[in-house]
Amino acid sequence: MSLPMRSPAPVAPVEHAPLPAPAPIAGPFAQLAAAFRKDLLLSWRSRAQAMAVVVFGATALLLLSFAVGPDAASLRRFAGGFLWVALLFSSTLALAESFRAESEQKAMEGLLLLPANPVSLYYGKALANWLQLLLVGVGLLPILIVLYDPDLTRLPALAGILALGSAALSAPGTLYAGMASQVRAQQVLLPLLLFPLVVPVLLAAVKASSLLLLGDPMGQAGSWALLLAAFNGIYWPLCGLLFSKVIEE
Amino acid sequence: MAFDALPQPSVKAPKVAAGLIAAAVVLLGVGSYIGLFVAPPEHFMGEVQRIMYVHVPTAWNAMLALTFAFVSALFVAFKQDWKWDARLEAWLEIGVVLSFLLCMQGSIWAKPTWGVWWDWDPRLTTTAVLCFAFVGILALRRFVEDPVKRATWSAVATIVAYVDVPIVYFSVKWWNSLHQTQSTPQTVSSAMVTPLRINAFGILFLMIGLAILRSQLARRKLASEMAAPLPETANVGGVA
Amino acid sequence: MTGGIVVGGWEFVWAAYGLTFLALGAFGTSIALRLRAAKRQSAEEER
Repeated sequence: MSLPMRSPAPVAPVEHAPLPAPAPIAGPFAQLAAAFRKDLLLSWRSRAQAMAVVVFGATALLLLSFAVGPDAASLRRFAGGFLWVALLFSSTLALAESFRAESEQKAMEGLLLLPANPVSLYYGKALANWLQLLLVGVGLLPILIVLYDPDLTRLPALAGILALGSAALSAPGTLYAGMASQVRAQQVLLPLLLFPLVVPVLLAAVKASSLLLLGDPMGQAGSWALLLAAFNGIYWPLCGLLFSKVIEE
Repeated sequence: MAFDALPQPSVKAPKVAAGLIAAAVVLLGVGSYIGLFVAPPEHFMGEVQRIMYVHVPTAWNAMLALTFAFVSALFVAFKQDWKWDARLEAWLEIGVVLSFLLCMQGSIWAKPTWGVWWDWDPRLTTTAVLCFAFVGILALRRFVEDPVKRATWSAVATIVAYVDVPIVYFSVKWWNSLHQTQSTPQTVSSAMVTPLRINAFGILFLMIGLAILRSQLARRKLASEMAAPLPETANVGGVA
Repeated sequence: MTGGIVVGGWEFVWAAYGLTFLALGAFGTSIALRLRAAKRQSAEEER
């Protein structure tokens, strides 16, 4: 039993203005810059969230100081270590946040439909995360100084360690956050995967920071900085390569 | 992302596995007997040193298991073959079990020797970190329901974690060297090599046998996961 | 080295060996049981 079919009435073709030539697809660096700008813009728009991450880190520093007690000498000794533990905890919030738009608003499909390659998307996002982690670290410094009373003569070098360490956290962190954001148990999965991986980063950053804050008679901080640089050198390329496999549908 | 068809569980494999495991039991029996009762006690550590005859073979095989997991992960990532995902699952689980066992053996060895349950030895500390990392990957596999995503993501995570192994080892070794000079002994006298080798092969055969069985299990689970749903009795043609 | 010779310690040796073979045995048994359950399940599904 078939429905009666009617052939469509013949329609005269309408004259359209000639379509403009399609815009050339932007090169990879332009895509990277666009992704970077987009993520920073999103973060800026939800900057209350970013502030909350800093407050979380500061609270962690406070609680850790209670764990040690009001002994000034011990506090000074652990300042470097606690700074990085607080930053590591804060990073799980910041990294998860960076994929919230993609997971909540289904922006991931939108990203994939764009003629942009995943590698550029990864590096744009990872660089934005790096900047945000660095800002969190810098934001924690005042609380660190007040609570732990460290020596401040080598503050610029400490900023350098913050930069290297937050980069080292951002590279694998962005990759794993990309995975975790697509799964239900995301809040536990990201730290579960990230923390064991970044043990070398923690060791090196804590050692270097402690040396810079307490005194470095044998000039070893530079060697630890080199270890951080090596970790970055390995993981920024590797994670960029692997990211496309993580967001493919 | 195209994964090809699922391989059928093989009939021969479990028999091979059973044979390997039987051989392993014999080897481990012989090796442990020699290690416990025949080999001489070591000069400084006395009888406690006999723990080495299970500890060192476990160490070699744990590292080997994780390396096999890494190789499987590479195949999964670049060849997209379900067979290799099954193997990845198997070697991840075995690697975790052996690493965890290694840490416990190391603890039992450290207490009478150094007086503490953990002495931050670089190799054991790296193993502990690895154990956590690979447990995380097993958890990842549990949390992801889509088989293709699960295979791809756990392969990516395994590659990333394995690349970290030398970095972790080096950083812990350096971090530790500034504090302590003691470390687990490396040199083994020739009288002690024999039970060591026998047990090493014993655990190797056991491990491969278990991996075969575990991989068969993984294949069966994949098959039942991806089995086509039963066709609904449909209204064919006509208007509902 | 801590210096000095470790005396005795057989209980640690037995603990280590016992733990090792117990763990490996339990793990192997777990795999065997799980595999048997999976075989039984797929045989039922085919029926």
